Amino acid sequence: MSLKGYIVKRVIYIVPVMLGITLLNFTLINVSPGDPVLVRLGLLKCETPECYNTAYNKEAIQMGLLNNEMYTVPWFERYVDFVNDLLHFDLGRSWYNTQAGLGIPISQLISERAVYTITLNILSFIFSLLLATAIGVVSATRQNSIWDRSLTVAMLLGYSMPLFWLAKLLMLLSYSLFNFTGVANKDAFKTPLFLNPNFYKYLILPTLALTLGGLVFMARLVRSQLLEILRQDYVTTAKAKGLDNRAVVYKHAFRNGLLPIVTIIGNSLPGLLSGSVMVESVFGWPGLGTLFLEGALFRDYPLMMATNTIFPLLFLIARLLTDITYVFIDPRIKY
Amino acid sequence: MATIDKKVEKEEFLLDEKTLREIETMKGAGQWSIVWRRIKKDKMGMLGLYIVLFLIMMALVSWILLLVDDWLTNANLLLGDPNNPASLNNLYIELWYPGMDTSNPIVLFQHPRYQFADQSTLPPSWEHPFGTDRLGQDMLSRVFFGASVSLALGFIGQMTTVIIGTVLGSIAGFYGGIVDNVLQRVIEILYSMPGFILMIFIIVLFEDVKIPGGKYAVVIVFFSLIGWGGTALIIRSNFFSLKEQDFVEAERALGASDMRIIFRHILPNSLAPLIIIITLGIANVIFTFAALAFFGFGDPNAISWGDDLNKWQNNLLDYPWMPMFPALFIFFTVLGFNLLGDSLRDALDPRLKD
Repeated sequence: MSLKGYIVKRVIYIVPVMLGITLLNFTLINVSPGDPVLVRLGLLKCETPECYNTAYNKEAIQMGLLNNEMYTVPWFERYVDFVNDLLHFDLGRSWYNTQAGLGIPISQLISERAVYTITLNILSFIFSLLLATAIGVVSATRQNSIWDRSLTVAMLLGYSMPLFWLAKLLMLLSYSLFNFTGVANKDAFKTPLFLNPNFYKYLILPTLALTLGGLVFMARLVRSQLLEILRQDYVTTAKAKGLDNRAVVYKHAFRNGLLPIVTIIGNSLPGLLSGSVMVESVFGWPGLGTLFLEGALFRDYPLMMATNTIFPLLFLIARLLTDITYVFIDPRIKY
Repeated sequence: MATIDKKVEKEEFLLDEKTLREIETMKGAGQWSIVWRRIKKDKMGMLGLYIVLFLIMMALVSWILLLVDDWLTNANLLLGDPNNPASLNNLYIELWYPGMDTSNPIVLFQHPRYQFADQSTLPPSWEHPFGTDRLGQDMLSRVFFGASVSLALGFIGQMTTVIIGTVLGSIAGFYGGIVDNVLQRVIEILYSMPGFILMIFIIVLFEDVKIPGGKYAVVIVFFSLIGWGGTALIIRSNFFSLKEQDFVEAERALGASDMRIIFRHILPNSLAPLIIIITLGIANVIFTFAALAFFGFGDPNAISWGDDLNKWQNNLLDYPWMPMFPALFIFFTVLGFNLLGDSLRDALDPRLKD
């Protein structure tokens, strides 16, 4: 099979997993106690029961719980409807984010906010990967030196520090040093976004927090993988034939250590996404994570449903990319 | 020739004195005493063990003290009205033993629930070592009594997760076939969803459920329902490799039932990975629950570190001691369990040691 065929196969494989995920989300909403229509209506004040009933029925029809003849729509029909809408990128309207009394379409909200999350995540992912590699190589090649020990202890402390608290401490530190809390405000997001210096100013702290969060996790991994490989016979051979240390580490050891590292990082991406939700929320960064948390706090069901579908999709795409990078890292891999 | 060979052989097996002594002490020792010896040598592991033991002691003592105090108050043994929140016996944690003057029991410290309006936002001092919060509650008392809920959540959450994972992983690993296939697909789906986000989604949906134990009981039930994937995968692969081994084959030839093979042979051999999963997992569960509470999805009425952190997180810049101490304790707990777990992993499975 060609590489193209492999990619097509992997893309098709996403479909059943996504179906499972949407089914899980859908079932959870359906088995949860309480009437979503009542949640939607919230504190609706009505003088007469008729007014209330009309509002209730109108809402229920709009949500697709009742059909026009006032019969309950069976759940599988609603599920098919939901998936059908999803395929047309129609995610419904938000309950909480409204404009002129009407909910903003969720696909519009997500496409507006996604750019912030993606910028933040890609930037911090690249930084943490580079730093983790550097730290891992330094620790592994100088095992048990003072550098290795202090770095290991620092990584362990960072690993045990809850990410949201790390973000808060960074905020405190930055506030006491520069009188700048890093909480995003309006002028950070003026268009054109990528030419706006304020955007980068407010990007620093969230990126730093998320980088540290990913870094402590990856550096431990790089170190232990590299240590295992440096003990292999072919590394000894390479040293014995007089290769300098740098070439041994980067050409022989590191390349072989990459594969398990990429696997574990690929599998840990949901954790990194969760981390992004925490950091975004602490710094008020208006990405998908904040959108989701706001939606959750105000019980905005359609929005939560949509973000809960988007996040796994992002993860599956990211994992697809890691699987494809395998092929480039290791020529032995058959696809 | 023969003499040279002998000499080489001797040379090869010549060990230094330290190793020989080590072998001598390990002779006849069981697996667990060897593991214990290895942990004792690991300074970081011992530090982790001390932290964990200290926290468990703290949780137990605070739980018992709170029970005793509630009992004393409700049994009307002390002077004062149990129904009046401002009454002395409701404001403090007291100790009392029969024969003691009921109007003058030993007062230990402030009750974590009762508020002293005139003592709010006090910085750490001799009287309040951790300061007081905005409601006038003593932070030391809050942190001390928060230990029992925080740790209990970690333990219960991880134990239920591991039990579900072990049962499902054993079935899939032992019988294989269609059960295994279905299980793998389910894990695939659960693994594709960021756990923290899925937990928030579920907590919001099931906010109205009333079951004994309050909001955290709901959280634990769903946490264990979605979190068992990792354990199940590890146990499953362990079963796959163990069931092909000769000792299982021999037992089967002797006519042992499946149940006997699973419970007497394969499960005891999977104990090492299980212990590692539990210790490292508790750190993760405590972190997850603290994170959920931090973002407002905990139980605001509970006394736990995560909920205190949530309440005072915005006071970090003006009254740093309020959120700092609960956060510090979460950090130490996670650190202790991580250190202990790493050390246990090295001791139980030296092949993994770096």
